Amino acid sequence: MLTKGPAKKVTIFINEDTQHHMMALHDSIMTFLMHKGVSGATATRAYSGFGAHQLMHTPKVEVLAQHLPIRIEFIETAEKVEEVLPTLYEMVSDGLIEVQDTTVVRFAHKSAKPEPKLPHALKPGPATLLRVFMGEADKWHGEPLYDAVVNKLRMMDIAGATVYRGILGYGAKGHAHKRSVFHPMRDLPIMLSVIDSPEKIAAAAEAIEEMLEDGLIVTSDVEMVRLVRGKTATEAPNAAGTTR
Amino acid sequence: MLPEQPAKLLRIHLKESDRYQGKPLYEAIVDKCREMKIAGATVFRGLEGYGETAEMHKSHLIRHDQPILITIVDTAESLARLVPAVEEMMDTGLIAISEVRMVRVQKAATPNERSG
Repeated sequence: MLTKGPAKKVTIFINEDTQHHMMALHDSIMTFLMHKGVSGATATRAYSGFGAHQLMHTPKVEVLAQHLPIRIEFIETAEKVEEVLPTLYEMVSDGLIEVQDTTVVRFAHKSAKPEPKLPHALKPGPATLLRVFMGEADKWHGEPLYDAVVNKLRMMDIAGATVYRGILGYGAKGHAHKRSVFHPMRDLPIMLSVIDSPEKIAAAAEAIEEMLEDGLIVTSDVEMVRLVRGKTATEAPNAAGTTR
Repeated sequence: MLPEQPAKLLRIHLKESDRYQGKPLYEAIVDKCREMKIAGATVFRGLEGYGETAEMHKSHLIRHDQPILITIVDTAESLARLVPAVEEMMDTGLIAISEVRMVRVQKAATPNERSG
């Protein structure tokens, strides 16, 4: 099963008309990969190209049009690639196989039917609560800072984050954050709260510190009462916390 | 990673209709914090809640009486100074203090006046 993190990317270059056991080679490679349970593979037909034979395959010349290159790509874990590579080596009698290191940033798949709702399981345990104080007008590369922070946390697989808008406040900047008819550009106080395991919060705090220009980060130990639905229990925690 | 310092987090729960010398209590408390040079204070308005008097605090058509939460983070000493003053001003409400670790992020070039 492919997950976020380091992975291998395999690219295979072959001819469209190469045969393998009475079948087009690209078809049998795709069938083989699917049979082996590879997370996904894409075969694309190239516009033109040449290979070891030093002959340009192009659709412009009818005789050469049947030799067009096919490129098959797939990304998998190192173990899976190790597993399928010997067979691919055997199959590709005429062509090229390339393997490179890559990083999976996101691997999400929507299942066709919604997953059945399993009963909630209670998962108590120690956790850390992180609060970040900032202003609503704070920006990070042009977008609202709180928005950027939430997106970042989401990418980091942090269990959850909630943004609160205050109605009044003051802090490091010294000026009052208050709604007023004279200041249409609002700069109300914003507080973001996140609950997750201590290690993940430490990583999150570091990332937020990078993005924060001026503000306060506060952490405290909490007792977490987690409510998780069946399958996700083994994955990232979905937190609902009680503060101590 | 900037160094973490031990600090205290103070939460004051009250309602929007609470008043102190004619102005909203939460405003009065924030003014008091400023006067006492507390590092910062943030006021949040809740949607709904109930408290000591067991009456629902929620938004009515003409009368806003939602729960208010004031959050303050500062050193133990500063908060020890503040708590008695706030207690004085409050009628019914709740004050809760918890231990926290804080990291001050201040990358802006201009240093701002700040205490605590």
